[in-house]
Amino acid sequence: MSEIRELVVALPEEELREFVLAQRWYGSKSEEVASVRAVDAFPLREEGEPLLAVAVVEVRFQSGTHDLYNVPVGLRRGAGGFTSVDGWAAFDALESEQLVLDLVGLIGKQATLEHEGGMLQFGAVDGAVPAGPVRAMGAEQSNTSVVLDERLVLKLYRKLEAGVNPELELLRFLTERGFPAIASLQGWAAHVGQPLDATLAILQDFVPVRDDGWALALKDLEAGGDGFVGLVRGLGEVTGEMHSILASDAADPAFAPEEPSGEALALIVARIDEEIEQVFNSLPDEPALEPIAGRGDDLRDRLQEIGQSGSLGRLIRHHGDYHLGQVLWTENEDWVVLDFEGEPARPLRERRHKRSPLRDVAGMLRSFSYAASASELEHGVEPPPGWEGQVRSEFLAGYLAKVDPALVPADASLERRLRLFELEKALYELHYELGHRPNWVRVPVAGILQLLDEPA
Amino acid sequence: MSEAGHWFESDPLWFKHAVFYEIHVRGFFDGNADGMGDLRGVTDKLDYLEWLGIDCIWLLPMYPSPLRDGGYDIADFFDIHPDYGTVEDFRAFVDAAHQRQIRVIADLVMNHTSSDHPWFQEARSSPDSPKRDWYVWSDTDDGYADARVIFVDTEPSNWTWDPLAGQYYWHRFFSHQPDLNYENPEVQDEMLRVLRFWLDLGIDGFRLDAVPYLYEVEGTNCENLPRTHEYLRRVREEVDANYPDRVLLAEANQWPEDVVEYFGDGDECHMAFQFPIMPRMFMSLRREDSTPMYEILERTPSIPDNCQWGLFLRNHDELTLEMVTDDERDYMYAEYAKDPRMKLNLGIRRRLAPLLDNGRDEIELIHAILFSLPGSPVLYYGDEIGMGDNVFLGDRDGVRTPMHWTGDRNGGFSTADFAQLYLPPLMDPVYGYAAVNVEAQLRTPTSLLRWLHRFVELRKQHPVFGLGTYEPREPSNPRVFAHVRRWEEEIVLCVHNLARTAQAAELDLAEFDGLVPEEMFGQTRFPPIGELPYLLTFGARGFYWFRLVEEVG
Repeated sequence: MSEIRELVVALPEEELREFVLAQRWYGSKSEEVASVRAVDAFPLREEGEPLLAVAVVEVRFQSGTHDLYNVPVGLRRGAGGFTSVDGWAAFDALESEQLVLDLVGLIGKQATLEHEGGMLQFGAVDGAVPAGPVRAMGAEQSNTSVVLDERLVLKLYRKLEAGVNPELELLRFLTERGFPAIASLQGWAAHVGQPLDATLAILQDFVPVRDDGWALALKDLEAGGDGFVGLVRGLGEVTGEMHSILASDAADPAFAPEEPSGEALALIVARIDEEIEQVFNSLPDEPALEPIAGRGDDLRDRLQEIGQSGSLGRLIRHHGDYHLGQVLWTENEDWVVLDFEGEPARPLRERRHKRSPLRDVAGMLRSFSYAASASELEHGVEPPPGWEGQVRSEFLAGYLAKVDPALVPADASLERRLRLFELEKALYELHYELGHRPNWVRVPVAGILQLLDEPA
Repeated sequence: MSEAGHWFESDPLWFKHAVFYEIHVRGFFDGNADGMGDLRGVTDKLDYLEWLGIDCIWLLPMYPSPLRDGGYDIADFFDIHPDYGTVEDFRAFVDAAHQRQIRVIADLVMNHTSSDHPWFQEARSSPDSPKRDWYVWSDTDDGYADARVIFVDTEPSNWTWDPLAGQYYWHRFFSHQPDLNYENPEVQDEMLRVLRFWLDLGIDGFRLDAVPYLYEVEGTNCENLPRTHEYLRRVREEVDANYPDRVLLAEANQWPEDVVEYFGDGDECHMAFQFPIMPRMFMSLRREDSTPMYEILERTPSIPDNCQWGLFLRNHDELTLEMVTDDERDYMYAEYAKDPRMKLNLGIRRRLAPLLDNGRDEIELIHAILFSLPGSPVLYYGDEIGMGDNVFLGDRDGVRTPMHWTGDRNGGFSTADFAQLYLPPLMDPVYGYAAVNVEAQLRTPTSLLRWLHRFVELRKQHPVFGLGTYEPREPSNPRVFAHVRRWEEEIVLCVHNLARTAQAAELDLAEFDGLVPEEMFGQTRFPPIGELPYLLTFGARGFYWFRLVEEVG
């Protein structure tokens, strides 16, 4: 066994636990943790100092299930770091410019590093590797990103799940087909072997931005709310083009559009119905939730209405977690779409599903509603009358003008399907906010209330 | 690292906490509108199976076959039956299943081939044929006289005269299924080549059909012989050396003390079906008495840590009554096969829902018992929606009719003409596809399907059900079946009322003094456990699963 691997798997459990559970990217904050330990390590730099390895950290829960996390660890002799082992201090490798550059260098070289239980594979689209400087991206969530040379972003996936990360698949597909409205893929790092095959990181272009869509909408609302309406049609067009391209290759099994099966719509309704039941069963007793408290059954009835039979369109790979925070308005006054991983709380296999592209559309529509509510609730600025409706129809007009019409149902079914996916999204938001941002709970509550009370 | 591992975290014991789902390819979904289910059809339905939450699909034999025994009469071990598609379709199906984190195992019949198999045709053509010795021949029909006849309804003897060969050949099952001769090293090697062929295509393991009968020795009953176990160890060695995280599941319809031999010292099969518990679950339910289940579990020896029982309620065969006493068999026939047409060989050819008179409480209760026992449950396609059977169809076809997907034409199974279907779908008012189908049950929150889905989900969230101990807790009331499962930090208490009437039972839980039972579906807390017997009351056919947890402030 290599020395660094031995050192990493010997990291003291207690300090490792403290370090991991305190991280922003640690995602199972509500579960009772039984143990945290490094179960494996893939060596990246075995000579000189600091040493570098990707630690596979297993967080084990009371019930006996577990999650795995990707934790690049640097080791240098002496004290410091979050813990130490055998005279080596262990620290978060992404804090070291040198180690980040090492990682990116391996991508540029398209290196393959074999180790006992498998290998690390690095791939590059065109080998361009910066020399520095390196800075943190800020705004970290389930992943960690660093900016290199103001040209590239290295994005490290923290939670490890077997299989290809959907973001790598989608970015590669869109990059290869020249779709302009993305931060193009430049490279990736993956592990193959024990204990799992997984995408560890991607390298993509850094896009200088003016604002993300969310900030743009809120600033605009504060300023009176005229400007954003004019830009949102373009966002709809970009979204439509993106879906058309994602549905354009019938020969690639991972992307070929599919016709929904006879029970596909019922399956969606069943999933949403279960989510309603789950969320409403454990709804805490809070004033913000009062407007929807006890209305779970009403909502399930409403679901039956909007989930009635009718067309579903085609099923395709799509963004999966589409909202204003995932789109950028660039210095060049273009829209750019980011973050193709899908909803972080869902398992990888589910995030790779082909589903109706209207899920993305509904996600963005919900986001407009979020922005309107947020402006009112958080900044005290009431949106001008009709703002949300106007933004919605502009976005939809742009979308329907550009999307391949075979992908979406027509007319009456379209409205109903949008409502269905908006409901699904609002439930996801409610679930997420309850767990992460209790102050925001009232926003999805307002959305759910609207779906409940509007005429059928 | 083969492609198969790509979508899974390494887990050599995955099968211990998995839920299996048995599929008859012909009956599942027709992907090319020819009236018969096929591999593309199964691929189309993976989204449904993923939603249902199953971990592993078990396919009935999908090889070329004259289909005189539902495909268990294999005519080519290296290909796919043309009705079902191609080897390429199979590879695509396995890959699509893996992407949804569903594994796939397939039936493999090592004991015999179809009489149509080119090996047998070559073997019978001449005594000098190089394949002659691949089968078991004799000039007389009196050898191995102590071996029983299994298909008593159709076969008078285990020997059949072949006029072309001029000799009798040996067969433990139908006369059109000659047994391979495992004394011959070429046969041993060829069967390993078969295994490798499918493992290389990404398959996650095999259900080994009829394993007890590979070898014959004069003066024995020709079942469970040492040479058979020796060969299985060789198979296991081959799998372990080259194919991580695979499973061998033995079909050995034998008493528990004989079945455990198929686990070896953890170096033969990973899994074996627990046959004898199955009829006893039905018996316990009908008699309102937990004794038959406690007794057979008591009689079941412990198994190596890396092994697991396969548990099931119903499958593609008759509800087999070989592993019960004559009295018990008479009882089962009287209670569950009132119409003589329902009997087949030593068993009852009916599906789960009709066996339980379509009683929802009974169906839920028996699933709860199944899911609570030590082992991995195996569901049979269609039983999750409570499909019925058709006793007027021959042999076991009555439980192999097309799956009901929707209330549309042909139950959504096929867009072919009705007359083209391999078997008619059920259309009666109670079990017909208009009343019982996947789509309708998906849309009905209180349906059996939706209930079972939640149940599968719960079991998967708690590995204790697959990995934990089994500790019987016989209560004061014999109508109640109670036991404890324990693994790592988790303690689970499962209690089931077998009676049609409300019951009360006292349980001795003194060792858990101070812990609180928390009902697992609704997370409702019950009064804490003390030193005195713990009293529980049940509605008719009611059950509780509790986590025993520390009391928190």
